[in-house]
Amino acid sequence: MAGYLARRFLAMLPTIVIVLIVSFFLVRFIPGDPAAVMLGPDASVDQIEQLREAMGLKQAIHVQFLRYIGRVLQGDLGHSILFHRPVAELLVLRAEPTAILAFLSVVVALCIGIPAGVLAAVKRNTFLDQALLVLALAGISVPAFLLGLLIMLVFAVQLHWLPSSGFRSILSSGNIWNIRYLLLPSVTLGFGQAALIARLTRSSMLEVLQEDYVNAARARGVVERGVVLKHALRNASIPIVTVVGFTFAGLLAGAVVTETVFAVGGVGRLVVEAVLARDYPTIQGIMLVVACMYLILNLLTDATYALLDPRIQYS
Amino acid sequence: MRSDNSNRRRPRSLLVIVARRKTGLAGLVILVALVLTGVLAPYIAPYDPMYIRPSDRLRAPDSRHFFGTDNFGRDILSRVMYGSRVSMLTGLSVALLSGIVGGMLGAVSAYFPRIGGVSMRLVDALMAFPAIILALFLMAITQRASLVNVIVALSVAYAPRMARTAFGLTLHVCTLTFIEAAEAVGSGRVRILLRHALPNLISPIIVQSTFTCALAILGAAALDFLGVGVPPSVPSWGAMVSEGRMYMTCAPWIVLIPGGFVAVFVLSLNLLGDAMRDALDPRLRRLR
Repeated sequence: MAGYLARRFLAMLPTIVIVLIVSFFLVRFIPGDPAAVMLGPDASVDQIEQLREAMGLKQAIHVQFLRYIGRVLQGDLGHSILFHRPVAELLVLRAEPTAILAFLSVVVALCIGIPAGVLAAVKRNTFLDQALLVLALAGISVPAFLLGLLIMLVFAVQLHWLPSSGFRSILSSGNIWNIRYLLLPSVTLGFGQAALIARLTRSSMLEVLQEDYVNAARARGVVERGVVLKHALRNASIPIVTVVGFTFAGLLAGAVVTETVFAVGGVGRLVVEAVLARDYPTIQGIMLVVACMYLILNLLTDATYALLDPRIQYS
Repeated sequence: MRSDNSNRRRPRSLLVIVARRKTGLAGLVILVALVLTGVLAPYIAPYDPMYIRPSDRLRAPDSRHFFGTDNFGRDILSRVMYGSRVSMLTGLSVALLSGIVGGMLGAVSAYFPRIGGVSMRLVDALMAFPAIILALFLMAITQRASLVNVIVALSVAYAPRMARTAFGLTLHVCTLTFIEAAEAVGSGRVRILLRHALPNLISPIIVQSTFTCALAILGAAALDFLGVGVPPSVPSWGAMVSEGRMYMTCAPWIVLIPGGFVAVFVLSLNLLGDAMRDALDPRLRRLR
């Protein structure tokens, strides 16, 4: 297993190098002078010249790239023009709400998606199955901003159950109840993912429920609940793990919209702020971190297979 | 040897099979209705979508304004009709561009492993960025909000996913007997790829493109909502929701109607895509 993970990590390196190249050249694709674009039309020639110097834009391109890699390897992701602080520090500061949001929304997605998928498969071709399928399809089709605004309108504005926007740190205040700020965003983000998981669980369960070993379990007199939950669901769960892995990685994309709707100052909101302000060093830093996280999560997803299905050999 | 003979009839029969399914038919009917609304918008829209009438601002839906008016007194029905043109154009263009570019790249990469070794690593790297984030970053580079930039940004974001699909499909098709037979009679590699492999990829790529179209419409609406999509002078569903959310508590229709249209449009494409995929995959048909 450890050998397999090490080999997979090595195979990932070329992809990481390409990710580095893409994020480096992103800024170089900007038509005109990146420094002038970043500082806006009001900047003086001196200011532009200073930023060009600070960004190392005056050096040869290969020297710039090698220096960039050197800095990244030391954990230096550049300096944000908008926030006047190191990008790495900014990401750490903003990570808390996004990490909690990602975790909670996966919990929401699994709690809704798996039971709905199993139920639809067991009650195949009934009204319940059709209704769940249509609901799942609607879940995939409703834009996150609409769902977020609707949930906010009902649960925050009308019922006053939970706060409508903002976030207060749990880590710095020590108040776990601050999690209430993230409950509505988590449901918003988790619902769309739940729909995907439900669809996949259903089709995966349908396939497994036809297998001989499921019939064999029934023949041995195992009660139907045991057959479904113990024999079928465990075997049907491998594709589900894949989609959960992708879900986690894709949550940041969803967080961009959800955090904007609920005014949560996380990494997703940081992406939008950086893009709107053309804060290229921040954009570059986030791109790199997001891509690396995605690749690592993919690797972990593959590793999880072994825990669920001992038949999978990593050789 | 003529592997594509049966395929020539497939598009027609595929549409018939799709229309026979209730969900497929529902998707098709909604889609056609929305497309017609968009195409005929200049003739059937009751008002100019940009016409501002402050005395009519925030009017609830009534007989004069079926979907009410927004905070500038603009007619929401007319704006939604014109907005569907933007969504349609974006969805269709992104599906076509990413389908053609991604599909070709995937097919060539699978059939010519030397090219594939390099190009699929690039695809892997691009896929490491969530599509909407990649599109956001690309919009940051382009500096100017325009429909063309939105289409290009979303196409670049979704093409790698299409390339991955086409790559897998081509690898599978290349193991089939008719490709072996074509190789045995000495057909050239390019000819085999274009004449024998590619026709077998078209149907699954069309299905995938339907989902890409749905994702692109959601993506474009999200970009508009975040303020980096099409310029404000063009009425678009995402921007309508974004502008209207300040008034959501007193005039919820400003948000619900354009947002609802995005959802229905995307739902119709997903219904259609699902029905087409099931029709193409006999294994799924058996499971239903």
